Amino acid sequence: MKQAKYGLLLYIFLALPPVASLMESVMIVHMHMQLTLLVLSGFLMGTFFKQRFASFFNNWNQSGVPGVILAVVIWAYWMIPRIMDETLTMHSIEIFKYISLPFLVGVPLRDSWKKVSYTVKHILYIFMTINFIVMGWIYVAINQQICNNYLLVEQRTLGFGSFAFAACMIIYGFIWIFSERKEHQQSS
Amino acid sequence: MNKNKLAVLVILFFAITLFGIATDGFRAFTSETARSLALVKEKPKIPDLILQDSKSRSYSFSNLTKGKYTFLTFMYTNCGTVCPQLEMNMEDVYNNIPTKYFEKDLVFLSISFDPSRDNSEVLETYSSYFDSDGEKWRMATVPNKKELEHLLQTLGVVVIPDGYGNFQHNSAFYLVGPDGHLIDIMDYTNTTAATNTVLNYLTLEGGD
Repeated sequence: MKQAKYGLLLYIFLALPPVASLMESVMIVHMHMQLTLLVLSGFLMGTFFKQRFASFFNNWNQSGVPGVILAVVIWAYWMIPRIMDETLTMHSIEIFKYISLPFLVGVPLRDSWKKVSYTVKHILYIFMTINFIVMGWIYVAINQQICNNYLLVEQRTLGFGSFAFAACMIIYGFIWIFSERKEHQQSS
Repeated sequence: MNKNKLAVLVILFFAITLFGIATDGFRAFTSETARSLALVKEKPKIPDLILQDSKSRSYSFSNLTKGKYTFLTFMYTNCGTVCPQLEMNMEDVYNNIPTKYFEKDLVFLSISFDPSRDNSEVLETYSSYFDSDGEKWRMATVPNKKELEHLLQTLGVVVIPDGYGNFQHNSAFYLVGPDGHLIDIMDYTNTTAATNTVLNYLTLEGGD
């Protein structure tokens, strides 16, 4: 429950108008910090929802797969460059951001993560890594402004930021694989 | 297990709807394409304004373009990135269109959105780089800030100063019809397609 409280605090902090506008003024902070922190806040708050709506999650997300798919779909939606522009110019999209990322990505991911098999976890992990590499490559290589509200320089920065993210994920991936193997050896 | 499958189906359906709505039916993934789609559908009237061209002449946009097609681009002369490319491609289209059309059916116009630096002399020098003759292809600016902003807003041109005296802006070829309404926005990197589009409109006009 402590986690849920921290999640809620983080969520409120991110929703404060000055914090939101400051984060959104820099492209890389907007995409790599605000979006991921919103997911994290949902992930932390997930413990509360899991207890409160236990039967709902047990019924509809028994295998954990629906939750993973929902999270992937919503995350992919936020990768559309146009949406990034619209979140700055349209209130409805901005509100949708604060609802969809914590509650349709963070919360279901929290519920699903313990339920899904290692295969699903690995697929999701590899998908996210590839996602970061491809996004990074697009943003670095393309010579045209993708978002009208951000400069080309910021777009490049974001691209390299995505590469950094992907690099971290690959390194962590190796650690993960080896630690799993160790656990396996110890238990057998 | 059944409920799980149902949940997956509902999510996928929701996803397709969400993506479809968000991208105008999978057509516009950037706000730039969305902007073009909306503008071409809406066909806004170009607000009237006073132009000041490279030959130090002043006249209104409507007087210059009345009864003609106008091929329009937006630039500023200090720009070192997109604008030279944009104007070079405009030159390409300009050279590919037979001169006869320029007698009364067509005019090329490059508008600078940096009136504080782009005065007539600067524009005159700049136009010489692109074989713009100042008549068939004119380069001009809009001295009145309000009129300029209104024009940029109408055509969805987003100009962001980058803090180093330069601007970041979106680029396209615009085609304005004889009645002063926008009729088409073309990709400035595909000059062949743009030339064909313009010629199509012109021959339609000549047919009747």
